[in-house]
Amino acid sequence: MNHAAYRTNSRKLLILALFVLLTAAAYLFAEAHWGNERLFRYAMRLRIPKLAAMLITAFAIGGASIVFQSIIQNTIVTPCLLGMNSLYMLIHTAVVFAVGSSSLFAVNANAAFAVDLILMGVTATVVYSYFFRKTRHNVLYVLLIGTVLSSLFSSIQTAMVRVMDPNEYDALLSALTASFSNINSEIMGLSVVVMAVVVLVLRRELKLLDVMTLGKNQAINLGVDYDRCIRRLLLGVTLFIAVATAMVGPISFLGLVIANLSRQLLKTFRHGQLIAGSVLFGMMILVGGQLLVERVYSYTVPVSVFIMVGGGIYFLYLLLSRKGA
Amino acid sequence: MLVRELTKKYDGKTVVDSVSFQIPKRSVISLIGPNGAGKSTVMGMISRLIARDSGLVAFEGSDIRKWKSRDLSKRLAILTQSNHTQVKLTVRELVAFGRFPYSGGRLTPEDEQMIDRAIAYMELEPFQDRFIDELSGGQRQRAYIAMVIAQDTEYVLLDEPTNNLDIYHSSNMMKIVRRLCDELGKTVILVLHEINYAAFYSDYICAFSEGRVAKFGTVKEVMTRETLSAIYGVDFEIMEISGKPLSIYY
Repeated sequence: MNHAAYRTNSRKLLILALFVLLTAAAYLFAEAHWGNERLFRYAMRLRIPKLAAMLITAFAIGGASIVFQSIIQNTIVTPCLLGMNSLYMLIHTAVVFAVGSSSLFAVNANAAFAVDLILMGVTATVVYSYFFRKTRHNVLYVLLIGTVLSSLFSSIQTAMVRVMDPNEYDALLSALTASFSNINSEIMGLSVVVMAVVVLVLRRELKLLDVMTLGKNQAINLGVDYDRCIRRLLLGVTLFIAVATAMVGPISFLGLVIANLSRQLLKTFRHGQLIAGSVLFGMMILVGGQLLVERVYSYTVPVSVFIMVGGGIYFLYLLLSRKGA
Repeated sequence: MLVRELTKKYDGKTVVDSVSFQIPKRSVISLIGPNGAGKSTVMGMISRLIARDSGLVAFEGSDIRKWKSRDLSKRLAILTQSNHTQVKLTVRELVAFGRFPYSGGRLTPEDEQMIDRAIAYMELEPFQDRFIDELSGGQRQRAYIAMVIAQDTEYVLLDEPTNNLDIYHSSNMMKIVRRLCDELGKTVILVLHEINYAAFYSDYICAFSEGRVAKFGTVKEVMTRETLSAIYGVDFEIMEISGKPLSIYY
């Protein structure tokens, strides 16, 4: 069915992947002190983990955003807009707050991350599926509640930080201020494992995404166990967002931008292609942006600022260009 | 298909109250009744879209809850009123989804054949590569019916298929319903607001009133002045036109 469109899209994705490769190569090798072997090695040691973190983040946010949009059947909402990353920050702070900075969960980054992931998975699935049910997926309500939740979570988190013992706050600081210049690389290995497991466990549900975008009634008519499928996919989305937030901190609007760019470019319902497009756009924006930040602005402006500004404008454009949606 | 003492409550209010009837095979059955009489809810419950509170819906001898959803989707198709999707989908791609219960995402040559046939049956060939959000209401409705045909089920359930269609498209839709039964041998159950469409095109009518079955029978049995007046609370005249009892009300 419509093989021509499928092939055109595959070609577009291939070109996009080439661009990603070029950007990644530029990021790695620009001004890398080719002449001096020791300096070159030093540059690589700094840049390779960063590049890996950016690629992993792009994968997590790109995948999660498309899946999330299809679950709630709206393309202008992303997990970050609904406060999922604020929730992660809150959980992370709450854990340190509750168990203290000397405990295993604060000292060992991987243990802390694992606890965060479990808490996040449970809380987010309960909270968000409750709100989706309650609002019957009405986008305006979902968006409104999401915005309120987002500030609620960060207010609670700030309140906790204020009353915290300074030593404990110190232990938290590195995780709270994670960004692309300050990557939480300790948990990278665990992140990759978590993401791989999620994809593996959800592979059947991911194949059902195409059908689910026809709406609840059609999906059930075609034999999909809708509610179970939504629950499982939502859990996957929250874990992906947790991974991205833990590693490089919150980046609002990135998901929105890349998911919609992918939808605009590919104009298809096939989620395999949409997710691939979104992930590739994410990689290009993050790596390209970081390249710009490091080589042109010499670290004066973090890449998340560009993404926020560009993404905010793009979000307004999306809202205004689709009247009545 | 057998429905026994089906009941549904919303917030303590009983919307469907021990409804029982049996669906005769290879016929067109219309569910009629005033707003809030529970006909769409009954339709939802017999198609597993809405969970029932108590009672039984038996399909081919066993409870629909015991059926695997996937197996049921090869035997029974439901089309609800509002069908819109956010994604860009062509008519052909939509119709292809009808084959999902059989082949998952991967279409076999046999599936392609069924899709071709469904598109031809609904005379949608000229539009098959158009996006559905670019079609008119009538064409879109036909595209969704084509998907149901591709699903190749014995039972077809349609919730207000003439909703939002003008007279021309509505009567076309009803003729299609008749053909689904007469030519393809399907059992078609539909919720209708237009009593005369029900009277003219169906074999049986199930009339609902306040969550209960007020009358279930052949068109002639249900289309009487007394029954309709009691259900709708409006005066009716029944006239026979080309052998069918049609109602006049105002």
